[in-house]
Amino acid sequence: MEKDLQAIVDEATQKLDSVTNRPDWDKIKATILGPNGSLTQLGKGIGKLAKEDRPVFGQKLNTTKKQIEEIFKSSLHLIEEKEDLKILGSEIDPSLPPPSNFNGGTHPLTNTRRKIVSIFRKIGFTVAEATETETEWFCFDALNTPEDHPARDEQDTLFFSPDSKWSNIKQKNQEAFVLRTHTSSVQIRSLLREKPPLRIIAPGRCFRRDTVDATHSANFHQTEGLYVDQNVTIRDLKGVLDFFLKELFGNKVETRLRPSFFPFTEPSFEVDLRAPNIGKLSDQWIEIMGCGMVDPKVLQLVDLNPDEWSGFAFGMGIERIAMILHGIDDIRHFYNNDLRFLSQFNHSS
Amino acid sequence: MKVSIDWLKQYVGFNGTQHELIESLPMLGLEVEESGDQSSPSLDNVVVGEVLSKEPHPEADRLSVCSVQVDENQEPANIVCGASNFNVGDRVPVALPGAKLPGGFKIKKSKLRGVASEGMMCSAVELELGQDGDGLMILSKKPKIGTPIANLFEKEISLELEVTANRGDCLSHIGVAREMAAYYEKELVIPELNFQAPTVQKPSKENLIKSLSVDSENCPFYNLLAIRGVKVGPSPEWLSKRLESVGARSINNIVDITNFVLLETGQPLHAFDANKIEDQSIQVRQANEGEKIITLDGIERILDSDMMVIADSKNALVIAGVMGSVDAEVDETTVDIFLESAWFKPGNIRSTARRLGLHTDSSQRFARDVDPAGIDFGVRRAVDLILEIAGGQCVPEIVSYGKAPRSSRTIEIEHAFVEERCGFNVDADNLVHSWKRLGFTVEGKNPWQVEVPSFRSEVDRPIDLVEEFIRIYGTSDLNNSPLPIPALHRDNDQSYDFCDRAIENLSSQGLQEVCNYSLRSANEIKNWFPSLEHESIQLNNPLTADHTHVRPSLLPGLLDALANNQKNLSQLSQVFETGRVFQPGPRGNVELISVALAMFPQTVSREWKKTEALDFFDIKRIIHRFFHATGINMPKDPWILVQETNPWQNKHASKKGDVHKNKIAISAGTISLTLSKQKNIKGPVLAVEILIDPILLSKKRKAITFQTFSSFPPAIKDLALVTDQKEPAEKVRSALESIANDVASGSFLVDPVVIFDVFSGQGLEEGKKSIACGMRFRSSDRTLGENEVNQAFEKIVEKINQNTPYTLRS
Repeated sequence: MEKDLQAIVDEATQKLDSVTNRPDWDKIKATILGPNGSLTQLGKGIGKLAKEDRPVFGQKLNTTKKQIEEIFKSSLHLIEEKEDLKILGSEIDPSLPPPSNFNGGTHPLTNTRRKIVSIFRKIGFTVAEATETETEWFCFDALNTPEDHPARDEQDTLFFSPDSKWSNIKQKNQEAFVLRTHTSSVQIRSLLREKPPLRIIAPGRCFRRDTVDATHSANFHQTEGLYVDQNVTIRDLKGVLDFFLKELFGNKVETRLRPSFFPFTEPSFEVDLRAPNIGKLSDQWIEIMGCGMVDPKVLQLVDLNPDEWSGFAFGMGIERIAMILHGIDDIRHFYNNDLRFLSQFNHSS
Repeated sequence: MKVSIDWLKQYVGFNGTQHELIESLPMLGLEVEESGDQSSPSLDNVVVGEVLSKEPHPEADRLSVCSVQVDENQEPANIVCGASNFNVGDRVPVALPGAKLPGGFKIKKSKLRGVASEGMMCSAVELELGQDGDGLMILSKKPKIGTPIANLFEKEISLELEVTANRGDCLSHIGVAREMAAYYEKELVIPELNFQAPTVQKPSKENLIKSLSVDSENCPFYNLLAIRGVKVGPSPEWLSKRLESVGARSINNIVDITNFVLLETGQPLHAFDANKIEDQSIQVRQANEGEKIITLDGIERILDSDMMVIADSKNALVIAGVMGSVDAEVDETTVDIFLESAWFKPGNIRSTARRLGLHTDSSQRFARDVDPAGIDFGVRRAVDLILEIAGGQCVPEIVSYGKAPRSSRTIEIEHAFVEERCGFNVDADNLVHSWKRLGFTVEGKNPWQVEVPSFRSEVDRPIDLVEEFIRIYGTSDLNNSPLPIPALHRDNDQSYDFCDRAIENLSSQGLQEVCNYSLRSANEIKNWFPSLEHESIQLNNPLTADHTHVRPSLLPGLLDALANNQKNLSQLSQVFETGRVFQPGPRGNVELISVALAMFPQTVSREWKKTEALDFFDIKRIIHRFFHATGINMPKDPWILVQETNPWQNKHASKKGDVHKNKIAISAGTISLTLSKQKNIKGPVLAVEILIDPILLSKKRKAITFQTFSSFPPAIKDLALVTDQKEPAEKVRSALESIANDVASGSFLVDPVVIFDVFSGQGLEEGKKSIACGMRFRSSDRTLGENEVNQAFEKIVEKINQNTPYTLRS
């Protein structure tokens, strides 16, 4: 009988050696451990043994059974591992490219806008938005540019028809709707909606009735900034702009305020900068943005007392900043959407 | 405004260079425009040459081949020339190889129609030495051959100034000189006047002027005088040279003098030929509606009653403040003249010039509020010059109507006010001195009374005096200013953050952001959105025919981007854009935020590993990921199959929500194949557009409240329902979900029911489909028992049979 036990162990080992899948394994298991299996059959023979031999044989039988079960278990483990590997397929060639390789990317104007906004957020400016459709009052009158003001000549404004109605844009009176010529109108909407102290940055799209060429675009983007509080000074304005321009162009940038004119600020300045690291434009004064102290008339027009409140405002072209930062020579590139252009800026920060 | 540096020097003791002025004027607020080549066009290598012979060009009728002596010690040069106004023996300017003409044109040895040419004979225009461009500049005084042309013509150097809208006073040489005098602390020298005459309200009998009447509120102040017996002729050289130095053309001495005084003082004057004036009477009045006038540029203008004219008893002679007519023009036959000097309301002149599209030196100045004190000065200056240059005799009275509308004004200002605005310490002496340098009179002692002369119309408040101080004093004290930033309780507007998250999400999903113009053509809108009332979003004054409307959608632009890149063989197949769009709505137009994307179903390039073409459900996945990441809710309305045509392909696109009702709407699917073909795109395009009314994003979102969840395992039951092929699967799913919830109500919870299989074909009736759904039941306090679950399941089946048109798939 002992011999038989060993034979069954050998049989199991031998049979399992060539098994590669679970069904075959199950079949072999049945031939040994199943109800009619050889081991089970052998076990049934215990009754035929002498009473005193039974415990010894029983013990041996159990040991063998355990041994065989162990053999089956490890065999199954191997089979499963092989089956798992089959799912993985043949070995990989890691040098092949990934399919559908679109990286996606953001537009350089988005990158520049984000950069500007993130710098101003550091010093407590939060974003305000208003619609691109504006009314003449918000775009001009409230910014101290009444109908007969000479500055209104310079604004080549696109108008909607006089009877056009807009349900989600509020008019002051019955004035005409226009496409905003600057983001300065956001100053007015924000000051009417929120009370000072107010510190906002307002990036957005603007429109001028301009012929498209290398430096002019039918629409373009600006970022307006506004800070109204008690005792805001020209010094504060310069401090904020210097911080911004140093963040944007590096510590070596020099800046100067040059007197200028905007109807909605008094005094008004152009901001010039000189930087060593901006390609062809390096080491010369270039105009970068306009700014000034909010004109007392503008404060009055939004129901603020100019004796109590003062503030500064500034505005810059996002395209212009992007062009200076990246040495782009034609504004039309931004709107042509040529991948050969766009893909160059996906990593720019 | 063009100014001549020599001319400026006439009024201010400035000895600096052109370069110095280019540096200093901008710091006063007078920007100097880039002239392209700041190093000033040289006339190097341009010399006097004599034409020795002139033969016709063998190959070209209009050209001649000349032999030109340009250096007496050398062989003559062979030059091909296109001009015909010269003869053998004439001396002309010759640009030799190496010369660079003022326009930037470089002269090289070359061949013209097969004949070698060793230089170019030049016209006055080509050398910027005059206005004559019709032929060669003939040097009639026969200067020596080989003399550099630069030695013969001393060019006045001019600068192009950009004068801001508030500084009408700087549209004159005296005005600019006054700024220079203030900056360099030099004396301003104003020409002395000789002509003296009383002003009268009515012309005396001896006067040539018979009457003057003013009947327009746009003309509060008008002066007119007469000069007899002038001799009209060419201007003296100094005068024509002055005018030419700033790009004005010399016409005749009288006209030139009025132009000179305008450029000198900023006061526009008008000279009439007295004998062309009917009855020698002048009327200032509003134009009659439809009144016609032929202006000096030879164009007939039709006027309206908002425009003002200067007329005689019959006709309008001048569009007031803008331009004269040919009818009373001063020409060689003129003997007696009337001279006008007036102050017109700036707004009226501005609107007239704008409406006529006729912006003249004169209208530009009137529109910016001329100095009322200059009206008297200007006319007397002109009379002095006319008598000196053209002779004649002035009727010694100025016929005058009205009075100067404003004069100097006094502003009171405190020292503290200046320092509060500036944010730095301002020395009182410095402050007062800065104002005095500008020609202001300062009286008193903190507060000061500052008297501002009439030429500075815009300085009338204390803040304006702060600006004037800063302009003169400069802002270099502000370098290294500290940054005091008290924190404020304010967040970004939600609409901004939403768009930024949208850009982040879609670019991370593998799409490339693009940027398109907001202005589109009428044709495109009519074609793409036939049901849209396109007139509502039309511009009133578009500049070009392809930019007549604001965009109602980002989709056409996205297709342009795909098309252009496809044409360039760029590997761009997925694009998106965020931006504002404009749509007509039931209560007027609305401006909406749009997030849109477009993609080719298959990659542009061939790939080693085949991937399945994208379809509607792939873009639906993008939409789901987008909404998940941006944290806004999709509209509750169901996805509806698009049945109409453009812009979507019928039955291959879907819409969800209504932007006017829900403030948010989604459309997605395949763009109309016809439309993508029209954009020259090969193959179909999948696209999505999400429209959002910004109002939806204006609400602050509430903090999320944690809810406990069941830790017991769910019981899972599947079910397949058979229904009509056309029945939306979602309808079946939600019906099942609501029944399941109904049945479970009170005893346990049901997770959202999911569809895991859709089948039609063998074993199903034609026109039917089977939708298999999975349900998960769970309780928060126990593991659900088999019986309980089976009972519930049976009830669900029963209810489906009773309450829905669906049948259980057997």
